[in-house]
Amino acid sequence: MLGTVVKQGATPEEYLALYSENTYKIITLFGLDDAYHAPWFIALIALFALSLVLCSLRRLTLFARETKVVMLPGEDKLLKMDLHSYVPEKDFDEVLGLLTRRYGLAVRDEQGVVLEKGRLSRYGVFIIHASIIIILAGSFIGLLFGYKGFVTLKIGETKDRLVLRGKDPAEMPLGFAVMCKDFKVSFYPTGEPKDFVSTVEIVENGKIVAGKEIRVNEPLSYKGIRFYQSHYGSTPVFFFNVGGERVVLAEREAFRKNSLLLMVARYERKVHDFGPGVLVAYLDGNEPKATWFLKNVDRLREQNLQGIKVNLNDIQERPYTGLEVSRDPGVFVVWTGFVFILFGLYVNFFVRHRRIYLLKTAGGPLVAGTALKNKGNFDKEFKKLLEEIHVHTP
Amino acid sequence: MSIHHKMLGVATMLYLLVFFLHILYFSLKKEKIHSAIWATLYGAIFIHTLGLVFRWVESYGLDMGHVPLANYYESLIFFAWSVTFMLIVMRKKIPYPAITMCASLASLFLMGYASISPSVDRNIQPLIPALQSNWLHIHVITCFVAYSAFVISFVCGSLYFVEWKGVVPPKKVLDDINYRSVVIGFPMLSAGILTGAVWAHYAWGSYWSWDPKETWSLITWIIYALFLHARLVRGWREKRIALISIIGFMSVMFTYFGVNFILSGLHSYAT
Repeated sequence: MLGTVVKQGATPEEYLALYSENTYKIITLFGLDDAYHAPWFIALIALFALSLVLCSLRRLTLFARETKVVMLPGEDKLLKMDLHSYVPEKDFDEVLGLLTRRYGLAVRDEQGVVLEKGRLSRYGVFIIHASIIIILAGSFIGLLFGYKGFVTLKIGETKDRLVLRGKDPAEMPLGFAVMCKDFKVSFYPTGEPKDFVSTVEIVENGKIVAGKEIRVNEPLSYKGIRFYQSHYGSTPVFFFNVGGERVVLAEREAFRKNSLLLMVARYERKVHDFGPGVLVAYLDGNEPKATWFLKNVDRLREQNLQGIKVNLNDIQERPYTGLEVSRDPGVFVVWTGFVFILFGLYVNFFVRHRRIYLLKTAGGPLVAGTALKNKGNFDKEFKKLLEEIHVHTP
Repeated sequence: MSIHHKMLGVATMLYLLVFFLHILYFSLKKEKIHSAIWATLYGAIFIHTLGLVFRWVESYGLDMGHVPLANYYESLIFFAWSVTFMLIVMRKKIPYPAITMCASLASLFLMGYASISPSVDRNIQPLIPALQSNWLHIHVITCFVAYSAFVISFVCGSLYFVEWKGVVPPKKVLDDINYRSVVIGFPMLSAGILTGAVWAHYAWGSYWSWDPKETWSLITWIIYALFLHARLVRGWREKRIALISIIGFMSVMFTYFGVNFILSGLHSYAT
């Protein structure tokens, strides 16, 4: 619960902006900045799983004992059941024939039979609890062997590593390369994004082995690693002319010509009212210096640095696509758990276990019935069955 | 004002009429009024459904066609619809005007809030890429069916503490209906959370991200799981069960309204 109040997985700077230093110490002490991965949280989950396992084991032993117990009770016991009725003058086998149309045979001996329906519902609770254990196991597999990260790709760019998410971002090799062939965004008339698509190819050992148009909701999966369209943006590229040589630089890229070393330090879309500009850093001897180049101001577009004429020809925005990368080998285990838990819930709440007993007695066949849940409905069904017996059997 | 807004307006008026008919019923106790209540409820859900369908159709006319389940306004309207739907589904089990009155009052409140509040955008909005998925329908429908079952459970739980002879049904009946509605709501909430998880896996790259909405829906799920365990394992009945159903519904409300307004997260489409 606390985890929803305290922002999760942010950087220390973000926390210090929100909370005082002492509060932040308390937050980190209890792992509240990443509560769902904190040791105490995982310990709680483990404890919960353990109790589920024990609970399920106990249930299993009960089942094992129960299957031996199913047998035909005597006449006195049947008479104690809420629903029972003699059907004298009816033929035992005819009645049985009618009952087996709706109920399955469980036990049969010379004295009579036990019929039942919806036996599965007895295992409902067990199925539900077992599936929760399966889901937890699956998520644990994901926690141990999976990872989450991202790659950003400009059109035409190829990368073979991803940046892992976490407190200290690290790079990790993918084992293959991913190339962005194209990226497109379309918008609604209202200006909201309608669709963004990255056309991506997977290159392994110099060969293209897979390709797909990745959209939101339509990820690409290769060797268990999935690529999701998550965001997009643009980075500027700068077209310079340095002493007669055409140079294309991205932000924080450096270039050397003779004695001049220059680097694109900072880009501003709007420098005061003068439009886009870029701060270029260079070395004057050993002393670092910086100067602004403004695209729309003639006087600042062309400057002399260290005796070399530097000209800013153009600034262009190059779109890039942000792909979320994740690997989670536990996902199919989790899916299995999901299917079973839904099945278990259905069986537990909407299938009812009912038993009907039919016994040969001196006073003619005796019919009795029991139901664990929804007794009212079973009452009606039982009465209907008796009616049918009276009408349809000789 | 579009045609669907007018139809939803008519549906709102019908919910109001349902409320007045209940008052009339309690003062006159005529069986005819009781039939009129149900007739009006059927009429209301018919117009309400038509309103949703017209909105759906109109969204295609605006070239951003999508099922009206995508923003806060649409979710409120659908919430109200599913409460009425749940009443009709459980009709045989709840022939008690006190319950139908409270539940349709909930529909009335939701419709009224959706159409009057200045903070709710009532226009058809384009569907952002994250929501363009077939999982949207099944996820939203299962969640709101669950929520509306919990509305009925909450109504029964609260009425349990009201003493009013001849108006409030017997306590045992309330307890029984409370349990029945949780039996519908709990599997539906489970299905809602699970379909959400599968969708999140395809859209966000992770089936569980501890997003506030996810976390709170899990908390709600745990509360109703406790409800079922208390009743089926511990044999709790009536008063304590009624209390848990009230707590559970508080959690539902926080999951739906609270998380939208107070906590930000991946589910922030709905504000």
